[in-house]
Amino acid sequence: MMSPILILILFYIITGAIQLATGRKWASNIGLASAVIGLLFYLFLLTDLDLSGGLMYPFEFKWIPGLEINFSLALDVQNILLLLLVFLVVPVGILAAMSSSEQKSAVYYALISWGQAALIGFFAAQNPLSFYLFFELALIPFYLMVLMYGGEYRRRAVFKFLMYTVFGSFLMLAAIVYYYSISGAAGVGAQWNSIGSVGVDLTHQIWIFAALFVAFAIKSPLFPFHTWQADLYSEGDRPAIMIIAAVLSKMGVFGFVRFFPLVSEAVSSLAYILIPLCIVGILYGAIVAWRQSIMTKILAYSSLSHIGMIAAAIFTGSVVGLQGAIFQMFTHGLIAVSLFYVVDLIMRRTDNNNLYASAGMAKIHPRLSVYFFIIVLASVGLPLTSGFVGEFYMLWGLTEKSIWYGAFAGLSIVLGAIYMLRFYQKSMFGELNADHAHKWHKLELSEDYVLLVSVILIISFGFFPATWMDLTLQAANTLLNK
Amino acid sequence: MLSMIILTITGVLVLFLGLRKGKELIVPIAALGVVAAGGSYFFYDTMGQEWMKGMMATQAIPGVFVGLLLVCTLLLLPFLNRYQPRGAGEMGDVTGLLLFAIIGGMMMVSHEDLMILFLGIEMLSIAMYILAGSDRRIIQSNEASLKYFILGAFASAIFLFGVGLYYVATGTFKLVDFKIISPEIFAIGIMVIFAGLAFKVSLAPFHFWAPDVYQGSPTLITAIMATIVKIAGFGALFQFLRYQVQHAGDWFYWLIALIAITSMLIGNVMAFGQRSVKRLLAYSGVVQAGFILVGFLHLKSENSWMILFYLVAYALASIVSFVAIYFVESKKGSDDIAEFKGLFFQNPFLAVVFTIALLSLGGGPLTAGFMAKLFVLYHAAGTGSPFFVVVALVLAVISMYYYFKVINQFFTNDQESTASWKIGWTYQAVLVLISAATLCFGIFPYWLIRWISA
Repeated sequence: MMSPILILILFYIITGAIQLATGRKWASNIGLASAVIGLLFYLFLLTDLDLSGGLMYPFEFKWIPGLEINFSLALDVQNILLLLLVFLVVPVGILAAMSSSEQKSAVYYALISWGQAALIGFFAAQNPLSFYLFFELALIPFYLMVLMYGGEYRRRAVFKFLMYTVFGSFLMLAAIVYYYSISGAAGVGAQWNSIGSVGVDLTHQIWIFAALFVAFAIKSPLFPFHTWQADLYSEGDRPAIMIIAAVLSKMGVFGFVRFFPLVSEAVSSLAYILIPLCIVGILYGAIVAWRQSIMTKILAYSSLSHIGMIAAAIFTGSVVGLQGAIFQMFTHGLIAVSLFYVVDLIMRRTDNNNLYASAGMAKIHPRLSVYFFIIVLASVGLPLTSGFVGEFYMLWGLTEKSIWYGAFAGLSIVLGAIYMLRFYQKSMFGELNADHAHKWHKLELSEDYVLLVSVILIISFGFFPATWMDLTLQAANTLLNK
Repeated sequence: MLSMIILTITGVLVLFLGLRKGKELIVPIAALGVVAAGGSYFFYDTMGQEWMKGMMATQAIPGVFVGLLLVCTLLLLPFLNRYQPRGAGEMGDVTGLLLFAIIGGMMMVSHEDLMILFLGIEMLSIAMYILAGSDRRIIQSNEASLKYFILGAFASAIFLFGVGLYYVATGTFKLVDFKIISPEIFAIGIMVIFAGLAFKVSLAPFHFWAPDVYQGSPTLITAIMATIVKIAGFGALFQFLRYQVQHAGDWFYWLIALIAITSMLIGNVMAFGQRSVKRLLAYSGVVQAGFILVGFLHLKSENSWMILFYLVAYALASIVSFVAIYFVESKKGSDDIAEFKGLFFQNPFLAVVFTIALLSLGGGPLTAGFMAKLFVLYHAAGTGSPFFVVVALVLAVISMYYYFKVINQFFTNDQESTASWKIGWTYQAVLVLISAATLCFGIFPYWLIRWISA
């Protein structure tokens, strides 16, 4: 029987092909329609959930029989939220691309669809090799998208990004092959939920983890492997960057979650190095973000800070930490895409990436300023927004581990408030630059809707986190084999 | 045997067609000959066992190598139509020589006697020396031919020296059923024969001819070199080593390991700064040869599928790459990396197939090259050489750098060079077929494994 997950992947591959065939005029509309159809289909799937920790809608295919490796996809408690994130983010990216001044070709929209197919496959992959396959594959469409459109220095920025990630993913492949050489074919073919039971002793675990750590730290990115990020975020084509910031950056930390059972002992024995490293990254990102005057760079460094927090929470290896991390992956994606959307919207009006270029915009676009404010508050982690729930659980997990971890990581919330409010204040208020202001056309209907929907989502996830926290509790328990 | 007779007759016929100015017929007749040869090899080969008793094997594994050689020839033949404007004579010569080279290749991959191996090598090599110089109006082509010939003759001499030592050590030229009289001389003999064959497949440090010859030869001939010669060379190496390796001792394992790593390292380092894409791919070929050699560690007949898989992946990617370079070169007059700028906007088809080919060479996912690298690395890890895995992967990252340096050019929009151009639909069809196969074997490797491990 065909699994709905596989159907979704094939659907987006075919959509991409159709977009190529129909050409520029139709491609964007087909892309948007298919993204919405996919979202609705996925929501329909979510109406019938099994939260007992098993696999839902599994798909298995004998991939490489000689090595006992299956190609395996399924929904499980860990990936439900992240898949939802993919389906929520991509339509926003397409809408942003459609309303950008530069006409994008059909190839561009086809690449978005193929990228989405790869992302679905990545989060749904159920064993290390399928995971690796989509990990690499997801990179290519976004690489091409940025390469074809974007700023003046995009070629260098995207090349740097590519080389970093390729280096990381080869290390990951090395880890998988190394794991294979220890555990035999059965180990690599094993699914995530049985992988913890394959015995690998601590020294081997540490080597495997070291390779995986670099791979995922580059992809996330975590301090000090982040140097590609700010360049790419400011030079890249913005709709692509939206998806990269919201979803691709989660691939790294999600990798830690996936491989956690395999390397749990290594993580717990190295936690005393890893968590401080992450906390340094959290504070570093926050402080650097504070001093930036380029909007996309602020978002890049703020992402660095938030993702560092997620990684730190995963490395605590506690139930609440993992719970918070998984929830925060989702909600940070949601907030990141909203923030990028706002920045995109501002940049389309000012043609400028500078923080001060849009000063006084609140006077002309009061609705925008309200939406933007709510999103900023969610990013800071104000209670009753979705940002709060994740931050709270993660800090709880860190504090459980050590009060100092909690204290220093908690500092980032204060810093976050400082730089995000500065961001908001400088870009929205202040002296209106009358020379340009008359060109700032009104909010389009689609822009209004996107912001409205994301604000509603942010608030509703903040008001009613209970269902989702049950889900993440189940996910954390599965990971910790409880 | 019958298949070789058919190929010989076809080759001679093609030469005469060139003489009689029937240039439209040359490629179809050559293709027909290759198909007939394949048919007779796989479905009707009663003559082999009786005629070539103990000198040529007709078992399954050499058969797959032969099949691969013939398929690659079939895929390359349509592009020889591009020689039509050059006149029937030249076209007939090139096609005929290619067919003779294949016969040499078939002898190499299925030898069971070192004399047959030597005959095969010479037959293949002499044809290739001439083909390398087939564009005689251009000085680089002449230079390539001369360089290839002199170094090739040198390698043949080394090889023959090894054969002599082998004879001294065992008292026979046969690969099976031999007694080792003197193990020391036997060991040196194998090493020297290995060196001679390593030259043919451009393994470092015997690769010095490759970049110059690849660059100087007409690009379609380079495509032949990168596929036919590599397949034949590795087939010969496999056929030779699978009988000898268990008599050679542990040091031989380390020799192969050393050469594999040297090849990957030197190829990568040298490819790094190349501006000529042909030269870059020549060094990449050295790297790939090193990777294939990793499959020769702990060689057993059961390993053959891995080596074959890699060869298939490499041959498919090489054909597409060199053909794509050929078309760009004949459009723009140079194979400098700058000529590939904005290729996607001028000829999206060529850019896409070339990208797939380069991804496959670099080991990108969903391509045959990825699976090939994965199998070889699993093999190395599984036989207790995790050191290899780490080194090979680090080198694979470096190789991604220069493949993507080329790919980066395709998708860079250059306002001045957006005039689009096309290539003929038959060429497109062949390239689509090869790219589809590359993707197909990357997604469903089992299909290919089943065929080649028969």
